[in-house]
Amino acid sequence: MVSPAIALAFIPLLLTVIIRSRFYFVLFYQAVLVRIWRDCVTGLSREERAYQYVLTHAIPGDPDSILDAFDVWCSKVEFISNIGPKKGQILDRLMMEQSPLTVLELGAHCGYSTVRIARSLPMGARLYSLEMDQRNAAIAEKIIRLAGFDDDTVELIVSPSDEVIPRLRSDYGLERLDFVFMDHWKKCYLPDLQMLEGSGLLGKGSMIMADNVLFPGAPKFLRYIRKCGLYEWKVHRATLEYSRGIRDGMAELVFQGIK
Amino acid sequence: MRASRAGEGGEELQAERREKGRRKRARSDQEATGKERDKEEQPKIKSSKAVKTRKNVKNEKTKEMEEKQEEEEGEAEERNVKGKKKHGSAKKETREEDGGKRTVKEKAREEKKKKRKKVVETSSEQVTSEEDDNEEEDNEEKEVRPESLTPEELEMLKEAVDERKKLIQGLRGKPWSMKKKLVTLRESQEFVEKYEGALGKGKGRKLYAYKVMMTKKWMKFQRDFENFKTACIPWEMKIKEIESHFGSSVASYFIFLRWMYGINMILFCLTFGLVMVPEALMGRPYGTIPRKTVPRAEAASAMDFAVLWDFGGYAQYSVLFYGYYNNQRAIGWLKFRMPLSYFLVGVGTVAYSYMVVIRTMARNANESGVGDDNSFNFSWKMFTSWDYLIGNPETADNKFASITTSFKEAILEEQESRKDDNIHLTRFLRVLANFLVLCCLAGSGYLIYFVVRRSQKFALDGLENHTWWERNEVNMVMSLLGMFCPMLFDVISALENYHPRVALQWQLGRIFALFLGNLYTFIIALMDEINLKREEEKIIKFNITTWEASLYNSTVSENSTAPPITIQPADVPRGPCWETMVGQEFVRLIISDTMTTYITLLIGDFLRAVLVRFLNYCWCWDLEAGFPSYSEFDVSGNVLGLIFNQGMIWMGAFYAPCLPALNVLRLHVSMYLQCWAVMCCNVPQERVFKASGSNNFYMAMLLVILFLSTLPAIYTIVTIPPSFDCGPFSGKKRMFDVIQETLESDFPAWFSKVFSYASNPGLVLPFILLMVLAIYYLQSTSKSYKEANVELKKKLQTQNEENKKKNKLAALKAQTDLEEARKTASQSAELHKNNSASRQDQEDGEEDHGSCQRQYHNKNGRHPPPPVRDQDGQLPATRAPVPRTYHHVNHGSPGYLPGFPRQSEPKMHRVPSLQRH
Repeated sequence: MVSPAIALAFIPLLLTVIIRSRFYFVLFYQAVLVRIWRDCVTGLSREERAYQYVLTHAIPGDPDSILDAFDVWCSKVEFISNIGPKKGQILDRLMMEQSPLTVLELGAHCGYSTVRIARSLPMGARLYSLEMDQRNAAIAEKIIRLAGFDDDTVELIVSPSDEVIPRLRSDYGLERLDFVFMDHWKKCYLPDLQMLEGSGLLGKGSMIMADNVLFPGAPKFLRYIRKCGLYEWKVHRATLEYSRGIRDGMAELVFQGIK
Repeated sequence: MRASRAGEGGEELQAERREKGRRKRARSDQEATGKERDKEEQPKIKSSKAVKTRKNVKNEKTKEMEEKQEEEEGEAEERNVKGKKKHGSAKKETREEDGGKRTVKEKAREEKKKKRKKVVETSSEQVTSEEDDNEEEDNEEKEVRPESLTPEELEMLKEAVDERKKLIQGLRGKPWSMKKKLVTLRESQEFVEKYEGALGKGKGRKLYAYKVMMTKKWMKFQRDFENFKTACIPWEMKIKEIESHFGSSVASYFIFLRWMYGINMILFCLTFGLVMVPEALMGRPYGTIPRKTVPRAEAASAMDFAVLWDFGGYAQYSVLFYGYYNNQRAIGWLKFRMPLSYFLVGVGTVAYSYMVVIRTMARNANESGVGDDNSFNFSWKMFTSWDYLIGNPETADNKFASITTSFKEAILEEQESRKDDNIHLTRFLRVLANFLVLCCLAGSGYLIYFVVRRSQKFALDGLENHTWWERNEVNMVMSLLGMFCPMLFDVISALENYHPRVALQWQLGRIFALFLGNLYTFIIALMDEINLKREEEKIIKFNITTWEASLYNSTVSENSTAPPITIQPADVPRGPCWETMVGQEFVRLIISDTMTTYITLLIGDFLRAVLVRFLNYCWCWDLEAGFPSYSEFDVSGNVLGLIFNQGMIWMGAFYAPCLPALNVLRLHVSMYLQCWAVMCCNVPQERVFKASGSNNFYMAMLLVILFLSTLPAIYTIVTIPPSFDCGPFSGKKRMFDVIQETLESDFPAWFSKVFSYASNPGLVLPFILLMVLAIYYLQSTSKSYKEANVELKKKLQTQNEENKKKNKLAALKAQTDLEEARKTASQSAELHKNNSASRQDQEDGEEDHGSCQRQYHNKNGRHPPPPVRDQDGQLPATRAPVPRTYHHVNHGSPGYLPGFPRQSEPKMHRVPSLQRH
């Protein structure tokens, strides 16, 4: 029988663990508990609820206002793993520097990052956005159109990434991708990257951004880019979207080609 | 030999003049038959070789010299001379425009290079000189045989070497490009290397060469020895490796650990050599007297592992603890004064520790300069934030990131300090954090107090009735609190938003308070226990007297004539011996502390690292970069653990002489274990920072702990009378009575008298007063020195600035000079051409300026130059007969090796070099 005093001595440890991981508890509460509860109450999916909120709170045709509405909803009401405002700024900056003409986005989810990228596209550029899930894609479509981007600027492809990437050249007539943004399943980062390399769409100087490489994390992806030597890469350290204490990072890769 | 040679030189001159015409003709022939040169070359070389060998012969046997030989010699010389003569004027001009010394040197060097490469020049003139060079080189290769060099040459060489040395020394200040500097340095070094050995005068030459060689060997040996010494420093390489991976803050811990190990080694030597070994060898063996025997009641379980692990049983009744020692005044054939030695060693270890700690602190204080960290914040960050000891890319990345963030933070801070609207929040948070920490400290203190009281209750009940958990409650709780509370402090300190170095110090201070609280709670509990034991002792003392009386009575009643009954020492009742109890407690504490440390290391670091590493393949998030991650090395916790461990050693070493030995063992193991653990399962800190100043902080804490730990030890020694039946001081009123006893019985009477006078308060008080005064005086002087230092530093700074300005000016001037020189050079080049042309016409009218130069390059100064010989032979007064041309040559010294020091043209000094590039 362990004496109570020894048990009491573990209190500091308990406190430490709780304080250390408070952000994870908050995240768990926001992303899982609230979601389940709301799903049961409203009968709508999370994305649909977000869409409703955006529709009622944002100005149609104004991408900034839509993004703001999303940010407010995600931080105050529920949690959706969009790219978020802070990492979004990094993305905006890189887009400005790069001013790519052909952009591929893997994982549109509900259109937040699509709008974000589309609004900083240069004239005449085109964004191909991939979304696997039918319902999410419908919402993303609505959001994109709500933000005022037409079919010429943003093309939403509803299909899994591993099916679309090999067909990009043949079906969509792409020659080269200037910018690729990955924010879909973390496990697909590596195979999709390799598929992109295989397809020959990456040219020297093509930039690939991968979100959430530290949390939830794509260790295999990171290991691969570290090893393969095809890229000049760095990880932008930031925190997880809508949360202050969870470290996360965006990987920025610039394709160098085989030297 | 010299005189004859000089005479010979004079003759030679005549011969030369006679021969000149012939030689000239021959050479022109040679040039004319340029195609057939190859054929001619062979015999030429042969002849010159012959000349050389004969020269050697001649040197040995100067008296017997043939006319022909002399002639040939003259021929060889003359060739040289003529070359020089030819270019005498030309050379002078070039020197003037080039600025003398430097040019000559450069040329000599070039020449040497050429020679080394054995470049075969195309011009016929070149061939002859090439041959000469070959010959000369042979001479040089036989440097060991100094006869091959004339004294004048040696003089020259020496001068040249000195020049080079000077050049090497002053190279740093020269306003040249780095490339040029490097080239010059390398060449000069090569030159010095090559010719230094040939120097020396007269007969001492060989010796000199030998000496130079020996110096080189000695230097090499010294370097090797340094390496060897570095290799001999224990764990140096390990620590360096860690330093390169983790930065200096982690390395500072290991250096501290090593230092601690050294101190403990000495403490161990003292106690082991002067207390434990003498008692074990010369004292009464085990089982002879009661205090050296396990009591009958415990004998059955005395060898059980559980008992031994608690340091009971046989371990308790051994040299490891105080109680085993006998109060016999002198033991063995050496008449070793055991109690005195025990006491002195106890005092000596503490005194030695004080001395070492204070000395190290003083030394460290000297190293840490007087500088204010607050001004030039960004400059400091800019130029000093890199840790040059990092040798690992990952750490370098971290360092890079940390520097970047520190810049960001500094900028933010700067902005905030201008705004300072948030200061109240920060202050509030800091106060809150301290409040939380105080709560935590109070809680842990109360918990320990509670546990200690409970354990006393258990002890009264009898320990056998309780579980292992309950028996070890105190140690467990103390270790756990010591482990977990720092974590909590760490979390709380995140509120405060300090710079990591400041945060580390706060953290250290807090953990220090925690540990100190724990330790003193423990000591207070021990005191209580000591008092209990002493009461028990009184009862037992009384019982023993009755027991003895009864024994005596019984023996008397049975048989009065029988010899006194021998009682087994194990059966004799004995007191509780509180000293041994204290010693045991400390040893147990140390052991449990060590175990906790190692177990934490294995579980917290190693197991975690293994899990993170291998679960990462099949986990849903990135374990390495995300939540559990690898652990960082906890500098503050480890340092404090070490310091408190040492404090316990100091406290307990008097009652358990085995403690230093245990500690040495522990430190040794933990050195290897922690080195391994750090390299294998820790990651560099996210905010790597330099720990240059932290060493003295550790030392200061160590000093405080030393003081705080000697306090209770001294208190017990001075105030509590020793147990009546165990330990070296049994039977005395106080432990320090042993000194008095020794004084009385082992020293002459006058000494004890003197001592008693000296210990008189009337003498002691003034002495203390004097000491205080001295301390005050020293302190004030050191303060004034410090101020003077600061002043000097300021002066140095301003001086540096001035120097910088001066250097800039000098560089500018050099540039203008260079341009001027270029102009003059271009002007004089034409002039020179004309001049040289005319001279050549005079001399042989064939060679153009370029070849002159080349010949000059090849010849210069290698061959014994005749004019010097002349000088040597006929002394300056008889210089008049020397033809004008010769004189000219001599004056210009074109033939001499790198240069006559020609300080008269300082302005032109660096011009040629610039021109060259």
